[in-house]
Amino acid sequence: MQEPAITAGQGQPHGEQFAAAGNYSPDAVAASLQRGDGGFGRAQETYFDHPVLRKAHWRWEIVSYFFAGGIAAASAALASFAHRGGDADDGELVRNGRYTALAGAAVSGALLVKDLGRPERFLNMLRIAKLKSPMSVGVYVLSAFSTNAAFDALEQAQEDGIAPRLPVRWMARPFAALTRAPSTALMASYTGVLLSATAIPVWYTGRRHMPAVFACSAATSGAAFQSLLLALFGGSAKTAKKLETIELFASLAEAALLLDWERHAGETGKPLFTGKRGSKLKTYTLGLGSVLPALLNLPSILSRKPPKHHRLRTILTSALALYGGYVLRECVVYAGRESADDPRAYLRHPE
Amino acid sequence: MERIADGATTESQMGFFTDVTLCIGCKACEVACKQWNQLPSDGFVFSGTSYDNTNRLSSTTWRHVAFVEQMDRENPAQSRWMMMSDVCKHCTNAGCLEACPTGAIIRNEFDDVFVQPDVCNGCGYCVPSCPFGVVAVQQKSGTAQKCTLCYDRQKDGLEPACAKSCPTDSITFGPVEELRAKAEARVASLRAQGRDDVRLYGVDGEETRDVGPLNAFFLIPDRPEVFNLPPKPVLPSRFQPAAYTAALIATTGLALLGARVFRRNGASA
Repeated sequence: MQEPAITAGQGQPHGEQFAAAGNYSPDAVAASLQRGDGGFGRAQETYFDHPVLRKAHWRWEIVSYFFAGGIAAASAALASFAHRGGDADDGELVRNGRYTALAGAAVSGALLVKDLGRPERFLNMLRIAKLKSPMSVGVYVLSAFSTNAAFDALEQAQEDGIAPRLPVRWMARPFAALTRAPSTALMASYTGVLLSATAIPVWYTGRRHMPAVFACSAATSGAAFQSLLLALFGGSAKTAKKLETIELFASLAEAALLLDWERHAGETGKPLFTGKRGSKLKTYTLGLGSVLPALLNLPSILSRKPPKHHRLRTILTSALALYGGYVLRECVVYAGRESADDPRAYLRHPE
Repeated sequence: MERIADGATTESQMGFFTDVTLCIGCKACEVACKQWNQLPSDGFVFSGTSYDNTNRLSSTTWRHVAFVEQMDRENPAQSRWMMMSDVCKHCTNAGCLEACPTGAIIRNEFDDVFVQPDVCNGCGYCVPSCPFGVVAVQQKSGTAQKCTLCYDRQKDGLEPACAKSCPTDSITFGPVEELRAKAEARVASLRAQGRDDVRLYGVDGEETRDVGPLNAFFLIPDRPEVFNLPPKPVLPSRFQPAAYTAALIATTGLALLGARVFRRNGASA
């Protein structure tokens, strides 16, 4: 919104008030003040700047759900890769990853239900399946993901000798074969589709980037969380190095995608990339959450010596990456609120 | 209209035609809507902008009379007041209906978009999915609410409360086909009187590109944005292919990365 130049003493207070609210183009305001018609020219661009769109009520519950869901998805994926293709000493990661996935899925479900206007009706989401609605797709993705996470956690608990042997493999195996890969992939990325497929300009103009940014951020946060668990509760240094490698590539991809998104979004991206929110996003997600951990981890990733533990560094870089992941979701969700309240962003029709 | 056994009527496509050139801004429609639908008050707030203190549609305001002042000191005869009674557009391709994950939002037998209050669980996804910013979640009921086009009255063969109360017939209710014919005739007659600025919003203009023709359409004597109507409303579902493609590419890339890093006996990449 461009502030029109207003000279003191020119025009009437009423007119200045409207000019300051940005209801008219600068030229129209200047012409109107010249005429002395109190700012009511014929060049109205909006209806008193009242929003055209309505913002979603989503707050910290949804931000936390996006964050927890991302960590859960990436942890499940890491556990799965480590289980299938990893070395013998990746066992700690498999165990932690499986338990994290289940815990993350449970937290996600609880946050989603809490956010509903009528939480007692959450099962109504399961009365129909609707491919056209990303929210409906998401509900089934979360359900399938949680089921797989529960089966995997049960298998792990049986291996750890803390759960009784239940005859569930005949169910778990085919279900996982059908749903594990797609539900895990979508769990990490569908939230980006959910926000992109709305009428909110800052979200829908980011549709080519947001799902990918969320997926990369999920991988970054998930790898950081698993590194943190290994640093805190012990595990192989070789596994830690693998996690650092994944975190490095995912966070650099995330940073590159974010910058490309900003370039594409232009004027419409202002609520996300400029002002206080823009600085927060760039400081905590881009700088401290992606680039700094990458720089700190790079020497040991490139080193050909047998990997060693760097507990303090791991705890620091993981905490930074995790906070950056949370800030990303928070900034994107709240930028949507600001974008919805700005009638110009929508009337300009950034398509 | 034909009456069927349970007192409901069957008729294709019922809607509103709202003619801004006839509206006198009495707000009888707002009041009638509130009374019939038992909607709570929105509080008593002065907007300080015009005689419009309602400002916009909300979960508890399903008709809203916008008050547009266009004053011209230099040429006072050119000054004008325009009032427009805004309402849910009951789109042919409704963003809210597509977004609803519970199936609470349906298209009823009158071809209108209706939120079933006993099914909605208040997830709120319809709210940012409405290209006109109409539907909203109400705090107390915890559900999404908007104009029902007086579904209950229609089932008894009555016209909606707003149309019934409108003293100038700025709001008319009926089969959409008939209303469109009426609206075209009205535009022709106004043009014949020299009103070149009048146009229909929601019949076949570029505003119908995504959302299709609107069951509640308008005759407006200025550009749509003057009345807070988007010139090109977007249908959110058309952004899904690009978004799902981005998701697919990113997760495939990440999966390849994971598989490479965790290959058996492999040193890290």
